[in-house]
Amino acid sequence: MTRQFVISVMSKDRPGIIADISGAIYDLGGDLADLNQSVLGGYFTMILIAEFEENITPEDIVASFSHIRSETRPEVTVKEMEAALEIEKENLPGETYILTVRAENRKGLVKTVGDFLYNRNINVLDLATTRENNQYTMIFQIDLSLVTNMKKLRNDAHLLEKTGDLELLLQHNDVFKATHEIKTPFNPHFS
Amino acid sequence: MLRSDQIMETVEMVQKENLDVRTVTMGINLLDCRRGNATETCERVEEKIAKTAENFVFKCNEVADKIGIPVINKRISVTPAAYVGAGFTSEDFVDLAISLDDAAENVGVDILGGFTAHVEKGMTETDRALIAALPEALAKTTRLCASINVGSSQKGINMDAVALMGQTVKKLAVQTADQGGFGAARFVVFCNQPGDNPFMAGAIHGVEEADVVLNVGVSGPGVIARSLERVIVGSKPGNLKLDDIAEEIKQITFRVTRCGELIGRMVSQELNVDFGVVDLSLAPTPKIGDSVGEILQLLGVDDVGAPGSTAIVAMLNDAVKKGGIFASKTVGGLSGAFIPVMEDAVLADAVGKGALTIEKLEAMTCVCSVGLDMVPIPGDVDAATIAAIIADEMAIGMVNNKTTAARLIPVPGKKAGDHVSFGGLFGESPIMEVRNVNKSGRFIAWGGRIPAPIHSFKN
Repeated sequence: MTRQFVISVMSKDRPGIIADISGAIYDLGGDLADLNQSVLGGYFTMILIAEFEENITPEDIVASFSHIRSETRPEVTVKEMEAALEIEKENLPGETYILTVRAENRKGLVKTVGDFLYNRNINVLDLATTRENNQYTMIFQIDLSLVTNMKKLRNDAHLLEKTGDLELLLQHNDVFKATHEIKTPFNPHFS
Repeated sequence: MLRSDQIMETVEMVQKENLDVRTVTMGINLLDCRRGNATETCERVEEKIAKTAENFVFKCNEVADKIGIPVINKRISVTPAAYVGAGFTSEDFVDLAISLDDAAENVGVDILGGFTAHVEKGMTETDRALIAALPEALAKTTRLCASINVGSSQKGINMDAVALMGQTVKKLAVQTADQGGFGAARFVVFCNQPGDNPFMAGAIHGVEEADVVLNVGVSGPGVIARSLERVIVGSKPGNLKLDDIAEEIKQITFRVTRCGELIGRMVSQELNVDFGVVDLSLAPTPKIGDSVGEILQLLGVDDVGAPGSTAIVAMLNDAVKKGGIFASKTVGGLSGAFIPVMEDAVLADAVGKGALTIEKLEAMTCVCSVGLDMVPIPGDVDAATIAAIIADEMAIGMVNNKTTAARLIPVPGKKAGDHVSFGGLFGESPIMEVRNVNKSGRFIAWGGRIPAPIHSFKN
């Protein structure tokens, strides 16, 4: 029997931190599955799934990670997964869109768009935002599977653009795949 | 998820750089519409277009809404009318023209192309009847576009037809004098006319095509110009070379083409019809910032028409093809950079300054699609001179195995330097000077054919 854990780590970024984290998992006999990491404002954050022998506990994992050298002590959270890990990656829903929103920076911008999406039963699959020269840019990857009237959504988005003083564009995810990937999104043999 | 910078690049293309799909054109075969007489044939033509294109505009708009990229024009091309109306009189062809125009209006498309005959080797009585009907047919319609193919690399140039074209262009302009000769803007003379070109005025549904096909024309001059601006500003002086610029054009064209293909294939799927080709042409509009001429200026000539312009167009045309051909499963049509004078604000400006002459424009057409396009000339230029200009342009196409075309507009009552405006996508420009008028009459009077060039014999 094995146990699967979701582990999140946050620490000040430095060269070698990935080697140390993966080394800690290896030392405990763990097997890495999916992993996502990102660096924001000089801070490193990672979320991963790993499989361990039955005798390994969340406390063992936290203890192993505590040896990682860092300017700030790494913050580690470990949760055991209840359902078995599905190895096969889920495809994006067919109605995946990218909503990009730009505005002069001010408080509450993400909340404004987040509320707009939530009120229309739209799930956010991914979100990235940046602030540069007082301009705030948000890129929402969203699932419109539950949206029945596209025209109304576009009209509502247009209204939000005006009332919220935002610059907003809603495009199908396939547009970005088509313009940035060699593989064609319109070829059924390759999808 | 895709990287944020990649997403923002594409977003900028739509929001600030005029990326759109210039046209989705539905090609419809009308050969099966032929009935015992012209009236019944016209009825059947209207019925078939109404049925086939019933949902065309709606579906294009729906897909554009879904995807988030505008589709500017929805158009129809049909089987060349000379085949559909074999045996028709000129009066019958005028009726057919009106039926085609009505059919276009009924399904909500702004332009329908295919009032066409192919006469590169010889003219039938039907072809002559269609040509004779042209002035009245275009004067009595608003959406119909016409074209005559007078030459090909395989068959040579039919100079009898070319002479007729000179007279026809004059008549078209005179018949629509109250609109500045606008009738001539809806008529184009071709060498090597393709059967799958989605752009007007020369779109037809070739007889080699399936019953119904969708072809897509992408845009992109604005996108390429803005991208080149960024590259030029962002590079250290002396570091950026022309091959780097060509590479940048290729990459942008790849993305632009992919957008066109995506929309075209989705509309095809929705309508359950064959997808034909993406036409890779860079098609400018009169809108500021959507100009092929601006790209030439960015690449180093202060005015379009200055020495170097032809070389830049050659590089641009080639890079566009190389970028687009890998992006699309099937390319076709004209596929190159257009330099339509009235439809491109920077080209029109160069005419006004005297920088761009008709001779230089002709030289530039040797290396690009599609020819002397939307060129307003003085209304008093004689028919033989117009025919001779057409003959020169056809010779370029014939010898270089490429499509060339002439869309000349002798604007009634106007002289060189006067201004003409047709509005909308047809644009505006000062009238171009035509030098050496009344000097080509003896050449045009010969008639007969210019034989196909030696390199056409490949069998």
